[in-house]
Amino acid sequence: MKTSIFETLARLATRRVAQLMALGMAAAVVATMGAIAPAEAHGEKSQQAFLRMRTLNWYDFKWSKTSINVNEEMVLEGKVHIFSAWPQAVANPRISFLNPGEPGPVLVRTAQYFGDQFAPRSVSLVPGKDYAFHINLKGRRAGRWHVHAQINVEGGGPIVGPGQWIEIKGDMADFKDPITLLDGTTVDLETYGIGRIYAWHMPWLIAGAAWILYWFFKKGIIASYLRVAEGREEQAVNDNDRRIGAIVLAVTILVTIVAYAMTNSAFPRTIPLQAGLLKPLTPIETEGTAGVGPKQVTVDLKGGVYKVPGRELTINVEVANKTDEPIRLGEYTAAGLRFLNPDVFTTKPDFPDYLLADRGVSVDPAPIAPGETKTIVVKIQDARWDIERLSDLAYDTDSQIGGLVFFFTPSGKRYAAEIGGPVIPKFVAGDMP
Amino acid sequence: MSQSKSGGAIGPFHSIAEAAGCVQVSDWLILTLVFLACLGGYHIHFMLTAGDWDFWVDWKDRRMWPTVVPILGVTFAAASQAFWWENFRLPFGATFVVLGLLIGEWINRYVNFWGWTYFPINEVFPSALIVPALWLDIVLLLSGSYMITAIVGSLGWGLLFYPNNWPVIAAFHQATDQNGQLMTLADLIGFHFVRTSMPEYIRIVERGTLRTFGKDVVPVAAFFSGFVSMLVYFLWWFMGKWYSTTKIIAKV
Repeated sequence: MKTSIFETLARLATRRVAQLMALGMAAAVVATMGAIAPAEAHGEKSQQAFLRMRTLNWYDFKWSKTSINVNEEMVLEGKVHIFSAWPQAVANPRISFLNPGEPGPVLVRTAQYFGDQFAPRSVSLVPGKDYAFHINLKGRRAGRWHVHAQINVEGGGPIVGPGQWIEIKGDMADFKDPITLLDGTTVDLETYGIGRIYAWHMPWLIAGAAWILYWFFKKGIIASYLRVAEGREEQAVNDNDRRIGAIVLAVTILVTIVAYAMTNSAFPRTIPLQAGLLKPLTPIETEGTAGVGPKQVTVDLKGGVYKVPGRELTINVEVANKTDEPIRLGEYTAAGLRFLNPDVFTTKPDFPDYLLADRGVSVDPAPIAPGETKTIVVKIQDARWDIERLSDLAYDTDSQIGGLVFFFTPSGKRYAAEIGGPVIPKFVAGDMP
Repeated sequence: MSQSKSGGAIGPFHSIAEAAGCVQVSDWLILTLVFLACLGGYHIHFMLTAGDWDFWVDWKDRRMWPTVVPILGVTFAAASQAFWWENFRLPFGATFVVLGLLIGEWINRYVNFWGWTYFPINEVFPSALIVPALWLDIVLLLSGSYMITAIVGSLGWGLLFYPNNWPVIAAFHQATDQNGQLMTLADLIGFHFVRTSMPEYIRIVERGTLRTFGKDVVPVAAFFSGFVSMLVYFLWWFMGKWYSTTKIIAKV
């Protein structure tokens, strides 16, 4: 028996084993390399349609630049309407966090604001209100990246806004991220403290390895096993071993105490991590935003039908125009998609094509007069319903649409209003009922 | 190992030197294979349990981090000590698995976090654990008792954790004024180097009811961590004792 075990162990150490291991590792490397492909989106299409339509309605979304150099700044800005009829299936946005959606830190976020309030931490959002936000970003890693804004809701997950491709040119090695401390010194956040990390971690790793190897060489594994199995305790651990242990322990504790004291001396003023909900935000209630919309234009969904094969949503909308000008429906937006009425938008706005249906809305061209309340039939039709998986609404447990509608006056004023409610799917082709 | 008095052929070997060489090769194979197994097992366990507290600089707070990481870390250290001490009287069980964990973590942080996704190392370095591990091993060596190691060793394991990490962490707890908001450098690193899948509210920073010790929460957290580590140590010592085996070596 002894023979076969020794022979087996000896055989394991032969060249054949090494060759097989090398072959296996090479195969693993090749298999891994074959699968490398850049991530191109953030799974926003995978989120349920009702969730994307009835939680956050993004609008006035802008990327200040779509091509920047490393270290160059850009701004991602927009407004978000918190849907009044927030779905029960998603936790309320009482604790929420604004975040850029990007594939790793290819752009560094130098600041982000809700209105005038710097918001590096979580905030409360109130259903029915509108908030303006902007995120300052700085190019870090060269490449072409899809960049969104998103808001994470505690208990609800991330809700992703529209995305745009951003080209970053240059070399990440040139990236700098200077930050001024309270004591006035400036450090580069990209590299700060890394030398200290290695200087503390690596010697201890070596010390740990040395401790193991010391006992390994001194005692051996099989020999140690035999000593214990044969009851030779005194040979297994003797006074000299304990003396070595005591010395190593003393040195270890001493180094720890000295390093702790030196660190306190080097950094006499430190503060704990900062966390917690920020103060309540101020919603925006300026003209043209959904937050102020109900005072000027009220909209009520009076039912609708979604024709699944034709990717066509037809809704009856009762509109009350309380302004002093005639208004026309120009846009319906939901889940980051924009469906435009070409009679109102005569020029194509600057917006990512995959989210812009510039001829997606058709409606009776007659405007709604000041003071008039009228029911209009709105047809929203585009392949993007399918591509962006909003047509899956028919398969959601809460098949209600949501979104914003924008009305425009001849003088160029805009009025926004929230719209939402149930629609009935029609699964077969043919005329709408 | 049996020997021939003449120094000639012994069992299946031609000489004592050949037998000794085979034992040495076996020793290296056992050490390497057990090390890799511990590295993998402990690393997965640690990522799934200590996880974010160990991943990110802006999670390494004064209360949760020094509580959670030692409690979850003492598990494999105790089991490994049971294996190496009970069967071999080798006093490196804790250091052995902790070294494996840290080597695995450093490979992960450097290759994955930095090499693939470009998070700077100052955002993703792991917690230092070698000093508490040496303490645990040497208490076992000096006392020869798992009971004393569980009580004294585990308490020290918890208490030493924060001071042993402070030389690295302190620099990131310097304050900055960011647009009127007070932030540490650690907070700011987490804010600047965007983690799309990690909203700020997910961080569990000094949450709880420990409010009566003012700013001196670390010692309380460390003692608590040490006490819980004692219980966890007992449990995992027996896990190591019952579920590890030396069957192959016994056959040798």
